[in-house]
Amino acid sequence: MSKNAQNNAALKGHSLWSDAWIRLKKNHMAMISLVVLLIIGTLCFIIPAFSFIPDPNTQNLNNTFQDPSGNHLLGTDQSGRDLLARLLYGGQISLLVGLVATTVSVIIGLSYGAIAGYAGGKTDSIMMRIVDILYGLPFLVLVILFSLLISEHAKDLTESLINRWPDHEVVIKKLINLVPLFVAIGALGWLTMARVARAQVISLKKQEFVEAAVSLGLSHPKILLRHIIPNMLGPIIVYATLTVPGFVLTEATLSFLGLGVESPNSSWGILLSEGANYMETYPRLLIIPSITFSLTLFALNFLGDGLRDALDPKAAKD
Amino acid sequence: MTDQFPRKKKLHILHKTANFPCMCKALLISIVIPTFAIVLSACKGDSPIDRYTQKKILVLGNSAEPQGLDPQIVTGVPENNIIRSIFEGLCVEHPSKEGVHMPGAAASWDSSDDFTEWTFHLQPNGQWSDGTPLTADDFLFSFQRMLHPNFGAEYASMLYYIEGAEAYNKGQAEDFSHVGVSAPDPYTLNIRLKAPTPFLPELTKHYSWFPVPKHIILKHGTIDQRNTPWTEPEHIASNGAFTLKTWRFNDYIAVEKNPRYWDHATVKLNGIRFLPISNQYTEARMFFNQQLHTTYSLAPEMIEYASNQYQPYLRQETYLGTSFIRFNVTDPKLMDLKVRQALALSIDSQAIIDHVLKGGQTPAYGIVPPTADYHTPKVVTFDPERARKLLAEAGYGNSKKLRLTLLSTDKEVSKRISEAYQDMWKKHLGAEVSIEQREWKTYLARMAELDYQLVISGWIGDYPDPTTFLEMWKKGDGNNRTGWSNEAYEALLAQAEQIKDPAQRLRTLEKAEALFLSEMPIIPIYWYTSNYLLHTSVKGWHPLLLNNHPYKFVDLVQPTQP
Repeated sequence: MSKNAQNNAALKGHSLWSDAWIRLKKNHMAMISLVVLLIIGTLCFIIPAFSFIPDPNTQNLNNTFQDPSGNHLLGTDQSGRDLLARLLYGGQISLLVGLVATTVSVIIGLSYGAIAGYAGGKTDSIMMRIVDILYGLPFLVLVILFSLLISEHAKDLTESLINRWPDHEVVIKKLINLVPLFVAIGALGWLTMARVARAQVISLKKQEFVEAAVSLGLSHPKILLRHIIPNMLGPIIVYATLTVPGFVLTEATLSFLGLGVESPNSSWGILLSEGANYMETYPRLLIIPSITFSLTLFALNFLGDGLRDALDPKAAKD
Repeated sequence: MTDQFPRKKKLHILHKTANFPCMCKALLISIVIPTFAIVLSACKGDSPIDRYTQKKILVLGNSAEPQGLDPQIVTGVPENNIIRSIFEGLCVEHPSKEGVHMPGAAASWDSSDDFTEWTFHLQPNGQWSDGTPLTADDFLFSFQRMLHPNFGAEYASMLYYIEGAEAYNKGQAEDFSHVGVSAPDPYTLNIRLKAPTPFLPELTKHYSWFPVPKHIILKHGTIDQRNTPWTEPEHIASNGAFTLKTWRFNDYIAVEKNPRYWDHATVKLNGIRFLPISNQYTEARMFFNQQLHTTYSLAPEMIEYASNQYQPYLRQETYLGTSFIRFNVTDPKLMDLKVRQALALSIDSQAIIDHVLKGGQTPAYGIVPPTADYHTPKVVTFDPERARKLLAEAGYGNSKKLRLTLLSTDKEVSKRISEAYQDMWKKHLGAEVSIEQREWKTYLARMAELDYQLVISGWIGDYPDPTTFLEMWKKGDGNNRTGWSNEAYEALLAQAEQIKDPAQRLRTLEKAEALFLSEMPIIPIYWYTSNYLLHTSVKGWHPLLLNNHPYKFVDLVQPTQP
């Protein structure tokens, strides 16, 4: 980029981020997706706090398979529980798994990849061969084994936590319940992130500003943290956005296989798996969660694509 | 320089246009081919079931991958269904009449007037599927293996009717010759019982009384070794109407007609396939798609759906069985009778039947399903008020919540029932019960090892007599699985054995059950009804109380096209 152009940008006060925002705003699909996600997020995380949404786990056996009505906007399920409430609470869990697992994987992947890329040479080779080996193992099988392993420990942890803070039992249970999923998915999902981070670091560490930092005598951790990582955030954010739907899907797969959250809690995967049983008799129980789920996944993917175009124009598709 | 631009553009356009038809093609392939396949199969007019009917192979839904095929180890109904096809006891079920005994491995039998001395005359041409003759010696070996103290058969108590069997099984008597079975010649079997047992032929229809091939078992291990490979298709020899052909784990088990079966002329089927489909909805869907001749059971909503759309296939029959919850009474929390009572009194069985099961079951107030002669004591009712009081007396309340874990199978309906219990305990008692779902084998193993607190259970009668529901609660019985025992209870059962007057005997058994229920090692929930789908091409399949349809009389006839 010429000096002139840089000056112009500075005059207009455009940072990388505001530039990206302008580009993103031009992408209609991405903006619609953003709005859809905001709506779904608001519904899942804020609406259930109001009292007009019934408890998602309280059964009413006199009231099973009710069609949508004023009392139950989306009707009730096979145990007389409000479907809307289950959908929203399930969404909380599914979205949380997506977000937390992505955060875990970004933290692990980013530090691992950055260190490998920055160190280079033998260290890099060894670290990346480990990633290659882990890549070769079947992801879902590992996640299942891992989550089973952790859930045994999580149980003991729950009991000791509840004994300490008996008042917060519901919250503790809900969170601990999810820990195996978070950890298992996040801890095994960082591999691609590590590769992306390593590639970025390698391309950045040859640049002049890094050389300048080295010649100024800055320590390696400082160079990594202050100069390299901030410059590679764009591609990382893009990749992270594209990972979220993958993790939400993994959670759904695990719950569908009966390995996700514990009964009677719901998640989108559980709603889909239960709904599939009633596809002839009460198709509503399958169709409504499916639509919500697909809509969210589509929106996350479109937003990820849009962010890539905006933040990292070089990597854009065409 | 200038040349480059147009070329690049051209390429770009080419790329885009090339992509479009490609996508169309993929779309076309993904839509057209399945449609074509469906149309094609519809035109041909024969579904999988029609092809199997022509080949006379019965295809059954069988709920779960069996625990094993050794008749002396297994305890479940899915296993029973397979074992009954490949092995045969002394007597067999009549295809349509209750309490009528047909000759099986025994051609005839007689008993002393007081029903304690029995003689079975074996089929003179009876043989194992490998051609080895089936003799009384095989039966003696089978009984000895079943009762061997080191073998640890869960169902050993089914043979306690034999004189000296209990002592031998418990290691109190070393010598098997003191057990009341003997073989005066290779085709005669004498059985001496400890008490009058008019229903002995019923007992011999159960797989715990079946013969097992001595020569095969001893080739693969000793008499008291469990889980040797003798039941594998390449090793096994059996004496039933069918023999084991293939066993594909989690796929199917296939048996084929046994040409060496003594009554092979009666057998009409060429083979049977047992499919371990654990999801009842999938099973029903497979039936509707013409992939099964009969289902193992039927999911609640599917009963209504089938009664509207598949009326000729729907079967709803009485089934001698009880669904209940076992307590692990060795658990510190559940040792307290008041806690058990509180949990029991807060279950509303009627609501579960009306809104979850919807299959015409009856709420159970005891363990034995009542009959005209047997009056089950009414001990367990739905009384949340009293339940709360009992739990408070046991020392639980808002400050000290009762926390338990309920073990359940991986079936969707089990999950729904478990969630209903969970909700009722929470609603009525404020108890926090978490649910653990495990697949069939793990579920059985955890129950046997008392590695649970509460477990949803079911028991299907093995023979039509109340004792089939009462004997198992004795101390050390392989099917007790609660850790509960009571000497007064066992004394009442022993007393009933000696009573000759049938009515008097039943009154004593009622007393025993009342005692059992007052101690409450279980919560009775409901008495079963068998709901299932049966294809119209299946003939010779009549309602039976124990649902043990003898396959040798079953036939498959293609219904004539209208």
